[in-house]
Amino acid sequence: MRMLGVVVVIFIAAPLLIVVPMSFSSARSLQFPPPGYWLGYYQAYFTDLTWLRPTWNSIVIATATMVLTMVLVVPATFALVRHRFAGKSIADLMMLMPLAVPHIVMAVGYYSFLGEYRLVHTHIGVVLAHTCLSVPIAFLVLSANLKGFDRTLERAAQSLGASPIKTFIHVTLPILRPGLVISALFAFVQSFDETVVAIFISGRNAETLPRKMFDSIRQEADPVIAVISTLLFAAVLLALLAPAGWKGIRSRLRARTPPTAITTGR
Amino acid sequence: MTSYLQIDGVTKKFGDFTALEKVDLSVRKGEFVTFLGPSGSGKTTTLMIIAGFEKATHGDVLIEGRSISRLAPHERNIGIVFQNYALFPHKTAAENVYFPLQMRSIARSAGLRKAQEMLSLVGLEGMGGRYPKELSGGQQQRVALARALVFEPSLLLLDEPLGALDKNLREQMQIEIKRIQRTLGVTTIFVTHDQSEAMSMSDRIVVFEKGRIEQAATPLDIYHRPATRFVAGFVGESNLVPAEIKDAGGVAESAALGACDFEPAEPVSPGDNVTLLIRPEHIRLSRKPIEGRKNVSMHVDTIVNYGDNSLVIGRVGDLQMRVRVLGADVVIIKEGEDCCVSWLPESVYAIPAA
Repeated sequence: MRMLGVVVVIFIAAPLLIVVPMSFSSARSLQFPPPGYWLGYYQAYFTDLTWLRPTWNSIVIATATMVLTMVLVVPATFALVRHRFAGKSIADLMMLMPLAVPHIVMAVGYYSFLGEYRLVHTHIGVVLAHTCLSVPIAFLVLSANLKGFDRTLERAAQSLGASPIKTFIHVTLPILRPGLVISALFAFVQSFDETVVAIFISGRNAETLPRKMFDSIRQEADPVIAVISTLLFAAVLLALLAPAGWKGIRSRLRARTPPTAITTGR
Repeated sequence: MTSYLQIDGVTKKFGDFTALEKVDLSVRKGEFVTFLGPSGSGKTTTLMIIAGFEKATHGDVLIEGRSISRLAPHERNIGIVFQNYALFPHKTAAENVYFPLQMRSIARSAGLRKAQEMLSLVGLEGMGGRYPKELSGGQQQRVALARALVFEPSLLLLDEPLGALDKNLREQMQIEIKRIQRTLGVTTIFVTHDQSEAMSMSDRIVVFEKGRIEQAATPLDIYHRPATRFVAGFVGESNLVPAEIKDAGGVAESAALGACDFEPAEPVSPGDNVTLLIRPEHIRLSRKPIEGRKNVSMHVDTIVNYGDNSLVIGRVGDLQMRVRVLGADVVIIKEGEDCCVSWLPESVYAIPAA
């Protein structure tokens, strides 16, 4: 069992061990092991508009996708988890449908559908398509959170004088915050990461980073790809470690306050 | 009796099922009333209707003569302690207690000061900074109580709040809740299915069964003068003997016991069917009949020893009888033997057959 674990870990970590050194490589194309090391490709990435524009596109599209997804998913999840209505099981199924359909099939569909409304090759078109793909993921995360939510907390809040709206703001929302943050993050990452649909409909105008990388690796195997991969990995690592680090800082601050002075904890 | 809380002909139906049927009750200001009954008897439904979380199908609820039926839960000014406490996990104890004040637009500094005072009253001085998960069950209970009381509610509702606590802590909290309730003089309704809890805490007990009120009376009346067979059987241990009145002055006859004297609490007439209630602790066990008491012979089947007392279960004819015996009395008798059981006429209460 332990051996198997080690093998799995190596398998997961291996791409990183290859990509990170390659980003510092001095070779003219992707090559492993690198013949020498320099930072030239980092400079190339941060100065080359043909790379920076897709990056910016991806950030804009992923952010818009995340916002639109949450606007749709939060009310939908409350309705589907907390209420019974006719056609509920069908609605439940439709929410998850995009997970079951292959991306390539979705991509062809979006291409012809968005074409009719002249939305192919636009940011809006990509955002709409990505939102469809993000909704089921965000819904799954949030509904699991909402199902575990103890509704007597809301009753308690109301008995204590909170109107339904105040109850939502002061009790429901803060307690669900971790679930909301995670589902929003998943929506963002899904869009940022998505390649197939982006290749079909993003075009030159709304070209996203994964699409640009895909084009680039086909044509020239530009080592900037390794740079981007490394930067993305660093960003994810930072995002993962940040909450733990923040907790550490907070508990240290709390420990320093004399106990009698603690009234609110935060 | 001026009534503070008035429940007026409240009926609650869930589809075809009638959860409550024409419930009437009136509660005095400052009174501690317990709703007692088995699960599904309607006690919690009644509580939820008072709180506003359920709507009555018919009937009305009034506080100080004003109907509250149309008010939303947050407009009712009623404090509730829930079974699982329902403390807000993202707020500290002090912030939890401050919450109802915050909802009433009381400034944070003044509100938190009041919350701290309330926490001191429930014995949690200096614990305000802790989060609910850092508190024990009993402490969480106290926070929930403080939170339900800090805004000076017109009514305090307690929904089986002691169910999750272990026995020692439960007894401690019973005394504590009683003390706090007396200190503040708040009118309180306490829901429980635990009869000893109801006995020890209440000014008055309301016994629910199948959506109706069986009896509403003081704990002693509930125990010694139950209105129905159900109340007699549900509260405390009992020997219930079907009998027929022979003499309005206090003689009833049953198949197993023969003629049996009792002191009638309510007028009865010959030929009435009644159920005689004889509490197991009012029966004495002896070798020979005792002068001045009703004596019958019993065959002892089982003796269960509880340390400070024993339960003797035996048969008088076809009738099973339970006798509570304190300490050493039980030494005189063994399982399988015959003995004499006896009681005084005033220990027999005749429950009218409904």
